[in-house]
Amino acid sequence: MNTEHSGLEPAKRPRLSWLPLRWRRNDAVLRKVEGSLFIAPWVIGFLVFVAFPLVYSLYMSFNQVRITVTGVQTSWVGVQYYREILLADGGLLYDDLFPFLREALVMIPIIIVFSLMIAILLNLRFAGRAAFRVIFFLPVIFASGQIIGEFIAQGEGSLNVIASLGMDDRLARYLPDAWAGPIGKVIGSFVLVLWYSGVQILIFLAGRQTITGSVYEAARIDGADPWSTFWKITLPGMAPFIFLNVIYTIVDLFTYPSNPIISKVTTENYGVSSALAWIYFGIVLLFIALAFAIYARTIKSMSPRGH
Amino acid sequence: MGKWLWLRNKLVGLEADKGLLFRAFLYLLLVDVAFIYLKPVFYMMTTMVKGAPDLLDPAVIWVPTALYGGHLAEAIKMLDYAKSFGVSLTISTTSAVIQVVSCSIAGYAFARLDFPLKRFWFGALLFTFIMPAQVTILPSILLFKELGWINTFWPLLAPTLFGHGLKGALFVLIFRQFFSTLPKEMEEAARIDGAGAFRIFFRVMLPISRSAIVVVFLFSFVWSWNDAYFPSMYLFGASDVPLSVGLSKLNAQLVTEAQEGGLRAFLEPVKMGASFLIIMPLLVLYAFTQRWFVEGVERTGLVE
Repeated sequence: MNTEHSGLEPAKRPRLSWLPLRWRRNDAVLRKVEGSLFIAPWVIGFLVFVAFPLVYSLYMSFNQVRITVTGVQTSWVGVQYYREILLADGGLLYDDLFPFLREALVMIPIIIVFSLMIAILLNLRFAGRAAFRVIFFLPVIFASGQIIGEFIAQGEGSLNVIASLGMDDRLARYLPDAWAGPIGKVIGSFVLVLWYSGVQILIFLAGRQTITGSVYEAARIDGADPWSTFWKITLPGMAPFIFLNVIYTIVDLFTYPSNPIISKVTTENYGVSSALAWIYFGIVLLFIALAFAIYARTIKSMSPRGH
Repeated sequence: MGKWLWLRNKLVGLEADKGLLFRAFLYLLLVDVAFIYLKPVFYMMTTMVKGAPDLLDPAVIWVPTALYGGHLAEAIKMLDYAKSFGVSLTISTTSAVIQVVSCSIAGYAFARLDFPLKRFWFGALLFTFIMPAQVTILPSILLFKELGWINTFWPLLAPTLFGHGLKGALFVLIFRQFFSTLPKEMEEAARIDGAGAFRIFFRVMLPISRSAIVVVFLFSFVWSWNDAYFPSMYLFGASDVPLSVGLSKLNAQLVTEAQEGGLRAFLEPVKMGASFLIIMPLLVLYAFTQRWFVEGVERTGLVE
C-alpha cells in the first residue's frame, strides 16, 4: 500500500484546531461549526442590512419621526398613518396603485407566455440560432436601467398595428372603463412588455435544458404529434420554471424604481413613507401568495392521483 | 398521391421543427422580435450623429446625410463622462467581484453545509429576495448617516461584503442552485483526504463553477451599472456620481433648458448620445463575454 498517499494522513491534519478536542472528534458538530462559519457573514449581513432596517421601518411607520441634529426623535401615533393612507386620503395610494395593479395583472401573463415561447423557439436547432440568442439577451442589459425609459419616451413602446386596427376603440367599447385603460396601456406599450422579458427568457432557456431529449424521442416513437408533445411533456416539465418566473416577474415589476408607488417613499416624511412601504409590501406578498396558491393547485391537478 | 404526401411532408414536416411552413413562421417571429429589440438601439445610434439639417429635414429618418459629433461631445461634457465612467466602473466592478465571492460562500453553505436553523435562514433568504428595497431604504439611510457613510461608496459596497447588496439574495439563490446540482463525490473524496470545508470550497468547488461565476458576475455588474435608485439615495450630495445618476441629472437639466426656450429638436440627440455613452461599455463587455454567458446559462447554472 502506498503510505505516501494523503489518504492515511487525515488524523494528523489540524482542522479547526482552536475547537475543544471533544468537539473536533464529533463529526456532526464539526460540520455544523464549519457550516456556521460559512454562513456567518451572510447572517450578520442579514441582521444589519435587512432585519434591523426592517424592524426599524415598522417602528417608524407607527411614529411621527423628526430628524434633528442631535438624532432621531419619534413620538407614537399608532396606526394613524395606515388609516390615513388606506382610508382617509386615497390619493397617495389608490390613484396610482390600482391602475398599476391592473396593468401588472395584464402584463405578467403576457411576459410569461411570450418568454416561454421565445425560449422554446431558441432551443430548437436552426441556422442563425447563436446570433438570435445574442440579440435576445440584450433586454437583460437595457431593461434594468433608465435607458428603457428613454425608449418609451420616444414612442418606441407602441405598436402601430394596434392603432391602425382600431383596437383601442373596441377595447373602450367592450370593457369597463377601469380595465380598458390599463389593458389599452399594456397593448399600447406591448414592446415594453417584450423588453421586460429578458431574464425570464434566460430562466426558461435554462429550465428547458432540464427536460432530457430522450423523453421527446420516446414520445416521437409512440407517434405523438408536436402539438400534444408540447402540452404533455414540455409544459408540465416547465411548470416549476413558470412558477419561478411568475415570482420573479412580480418581484421585478413591483420593485422597479420607476414604479409609481416606490417613488413616493421619500425622506420627506419618514413615518408616512414607512407606512406606505409596508402597505405596499403587503400587496406584493398578497400577489406572491396568490401565485403560490395557483401553482399548488395546478401541480395537484396535474399529478396522476388528482383525478 | 405520392406527390401530395411529399409536398405535405416538405411543408408541415414529419416533426414540428422540420417543416418549411414552421421554419418560415419561426424566422418571421424571431426576426420581428429581434427587430423590436434592435430598433431603439439603431435609433439611438443614428439620432445622436444627426446634425441640425438632418434633424429638421423630415425626409431623413434613419440614415443621416452627414455625421455630426457635436451632440455626443455635449453629452460627454454634461455627463462629466470621464469621471462618472470611472465611478460607475469602480462601483460595478468592485461590487460584482465581491458579490461573486460572498454570495458563492453563502450559496455553498445553503447548498451543502449544515448549520443551526438552516431552514429558518433559508426562509430569511427568500424573504430578502421578495422584499422591495423601499421597505428598508429609510432606516438604511439613517444607519449609514450614523456611520458617516452618506455620499461615499460604502453604503453601496458594504452590504455586498456580506452577500447582500443589489439583488444579493438572487445571486445566493443562483449559487445555491448551482452547487446543489454538482455531484457530491468530489467533495467526499476531498473530505476523506482530510480537507476542511474551506479548502474544499476554494480548491475544489470554486474552480469548477466558472459558468455560475460568469452569470453572477455579469448580472451583478450590469445591474449595479444601471441602478440609479440606490446611488441617488445614498450619494445625493456627492460630486462623484455614477453614470446612471448622471443621466437623470442630464435629463432634468435638459428639461429646464427646454423650458427656458431652447430648441426642442436638439434635446433628443443629446439624450440619445448620453444613453449610448452609458450603454456602450455594457455592450462591449457583453460582446466579449456573451459566449461564456450563454454557455453558463445553458449549463443549468441558473436554475434547476
